[in-house]
Amino acid sequence: MRSDPQPPRTGAAAEWHEVTVQYPFAKRPAVGPVSLGVRRGERVLLLGPSGSGKSTLLLTLTGLVPNSIPATVSGDIRLFGAVVGTRQPWAWAAQVAQYFQDADQTLCGMRVEDEIAFALENRALPPMRIAERVTEAMDRVGVPESWRSRPSSALSGGERQLVALAATLVQDASLFVADEPTAHLAPLAADRLHALLTECGPDRSVLVVDHRLEGLIQQIDRMIVLGRDGGIIAEGHPRTVFRAKHDLLVSEGIWRPAASALDARLEEAGIAPQVAPLSVEEALAHVDPATAPREHVEKALPAVEAFVAECTVRSVQTAPDAPVLARLVKAACAPFLGPTVLRSIDLAIREGEILGVLGANGAGKSTLGLCLSGLLPLKAGRRTGAPGGYAFQRPENQFTAGTVRDEILDTLPKQMAAKAKAERVAGTLAAWGLSGLEHRHPFELSQGQKRRLALATLTTSDRWPLLVLDEPTAGLDAHGVSMLMSAILALHGRGYAVAVITHDMDFALRLCPRSIIVGEGGILADGPTQDLMRNTALLQRAGLAEPSCVKALQWLQRAASC
Amino acid sequence: MAATGRIMLKALNPLSKLLVCAVWLAASVLVFDERFQMALIVLTGSALIVLNRTSPLLLLALMVPFGLFGFAFLTTSLLFRQDSDFAMRMASEALLTSPAVSAGLTLFLRAVACGMISVFFALTTDPGSLVRALMVHGRLPPRIGYSLFAAMLLVPDLAAEAQQMRIARAMKTGRRLRRVPGPGELMSLVVPLLAFAIRRAGRTAIALEARGLSPDGPRTVLHAPGFTRSDAVFIITAIVAITLCGAATVSDIDVPLSLPQVAHDEPV
Repeated sequence: MRSDPQPPRTGAAAEWHEVTVQYPFAKRPAVGPVSLGVRRGERVLLLGPSGSGKSTLLLTLTGLVPNSIPATVSGDIRLFGAVVGTRQPWAWAAQVAQYFQDADQTLCGMRVEDEIAFALENRALPPMRIAERVTEAMDRVGVPESWRSRPSSALSGGERQLVALAATLVQDASLFVADEPTAHLAPLAADRLHALLTECGPDRSVLVVDHRLEGLIQQIDRMIVLGRDGGIIAEGHPRTVFRAKHDLLVSEGIWRPAASALDARLEEAGIAPQVAPLSVEEALAHVDPATAPREHVEKALPAVEAFVAECTVRSVQTAPDAPVLARLVKAACAPFLGPTVLRSIDLAIREGEILGVLGANGAGKSTLGLCLSGLLPLKAGRRTGAPGGYAFQRPENQFTAGTVRDEILDTLPKQMAAKAKAERVAGTLAAWGLSGLEHRHPFELSQGQKRRLALATLTTSDRWPLLVLDEPTAGLDAHGVSMLMSAILALHGRGYAVAVITHDMDFALRLCPRSIIVGEGGILADGPTQDLMRNTALLQRAGLAEPSCVKALQWLQRAASC
Repeated sequence: MAATGRIMLKALNPLSKLLVCAVWLAASVLVFDERFQMALIVLTGSALIVLNRTSPLLLLALMVPFGLFGFAFLTTSLLFRQDSDFAMRMASEALLTSPAVSAGLTLFLRAVACGMISVFFALTTDPGSLVRALMVHGRLPPRIGYSLFAAMLLVPDLAAEAQQMRIARAMKTGRRLRRVPGPGELMSLVVPLLAFAIRRAGRTAIALEARGLSPDGPRTVLHAPGFTRSDAVFIITAIVAITLCGAATVSDIDVPLSLPQVAHDEPV
């Protein structure tokens, strides 16, 4: 399928024509054959399930694949009409700015000012001109002047991501390419980044791969969807694609904005808006209880209720008298050998509870999680209760064995009989959808498989009745998140207490009956997730944003009061 | 004055300091005399304490590994020198005047002097400025220069990564996380950390290329330190000081610029 109805080589910013990429020793191509293009001044969103080759496709754009990353590339790739292979990858930097998912992939270990200036130094611009543009980029992104002389290695993850963005924007390239730029950002920081990414300009083209669509999708001119086989399965304006291809996107496990699900329900009820919506407000604007005919509101009511029910907590609220599994009392938490970041923490988690841990980048959520699980000693105060298991943001960090099978075996008691161990391993592999992968090295698995293996190792032996999951949805597609959610709910059913550290407010609202908001060196709020999500002032103070379905909840309240 | 001196030391071109330190290190190796080594230690240490406002305690702490290294030389010289016949001489002559002790002491002081000179360079030089100066004045290829920057970023990240791995292992084994890892634990971290470093190095190389780092061609290097009159003054002063110390030492000893003669028993 071709994405660009225009004939190729007509001055498009970027074009792939019948491109196939195959990595060495891989049995099938990572991408393609695929043909797509980005026109000058156009903002294109590239979507697809995990493993569909989106990142690979972006890396072929300036020839980093195959010049720096070995692969066999066939087909024709052009940038601004010129064949990509005619120049070395570095020679395209003046025309193409690339922002990678991990800030550490963009930064090189210099002072903030030097990091931002680096691309311009490479273009041999005069020092005065570089200084002006560095200051300009810092202002645009909101990098404080006080950071100018700080080494980038001394910044927190979120701060580094801002500097990386400034370092990419300063290039002022005609084509801006971003690969999952908001994967590890708190909601407000992600919104700001989306706004900067999609700033308009007649000659500025943008190509973005991102799973977080709220706040971004409204700025997109065209979206292209890759299927699991690396070919294009849908393409067009987001309004058209999300309505016309809704079922296909669901079956392929591709992220959709919340409004798309609401639109589907309204369509079923026969009250969908004329133009497909990209936000919940848009979806409900034509049935505003204050202005729309009452019968229209009545017709929309069940659809909105069903949507809200789908978006809000699915697990049962834990009884207040359930036994406390772990408790922190007046705890001062600090990273290992680091300064105290949280003080006077009083927190209890009960048997069978799912607790959301929310907060901005650098608020201390991971440190709190490690202290709650008992893996980090407290600087002050005390912890009581059962030992906790911790699923790290980077699942690779907890793998110690050479195969998936050994990884699970290692968690079983040594005195267990060999036959019983083999049965337990087989059962665990089947339960977590890892059958057939037992002899693979854990590092060879996909991101979703790695996360499932990490959870499998934590739940096989019942050693840890409390589990802390750190950013479990990062890098997963919608299908992966759905599987993860089912797995967590199953653990909840088995009586596990689960604390989920996340930036995904919709995920927290769907999964966690209770949440805490971490910020300003302590716990800012602790209560039912639904109540916290309605407190706009609190969310703003903590650098968070409302989940997408809050507008639907507000609509329901207004509909009930009319 | 101290503040001015501190600024002056930091503001000097790192290559000037590198040259002076290299000359001083060479002199420390060539002039085998304890008074010369002590003069080097006093000169460098005073410069750090007075001009750079380095805490004497910090300086002492930094000298501990060099002191231990030098102490090994001292004990080796005393106990294993073939002709020292240490135990016999202990009974017949003063310990401090014996050639074995003198040689050992010089070796000890040399280790400390070399350490002090290295610390002087490290404490007064910004690594970034050094790399930039090397790229501009030393013809260091930018690819190597910026790889050094990336390596500097990698070190703290490697430590953070190792920490997470240690926590994960402590969780699996059910043991409490120790402040200092044991040799076995360190060995088990080597392979995963190496894998992390290789992955990271590959990604950094791609990032550098994506931002336009080319192997050749013109480029601007911002904040590259230039040479000023202060550099000339610093180099001349340092060379004069070391020459005077050397001359004073050479004029005052019988066997100049030579290592102590070690007697070897003829094979029977």
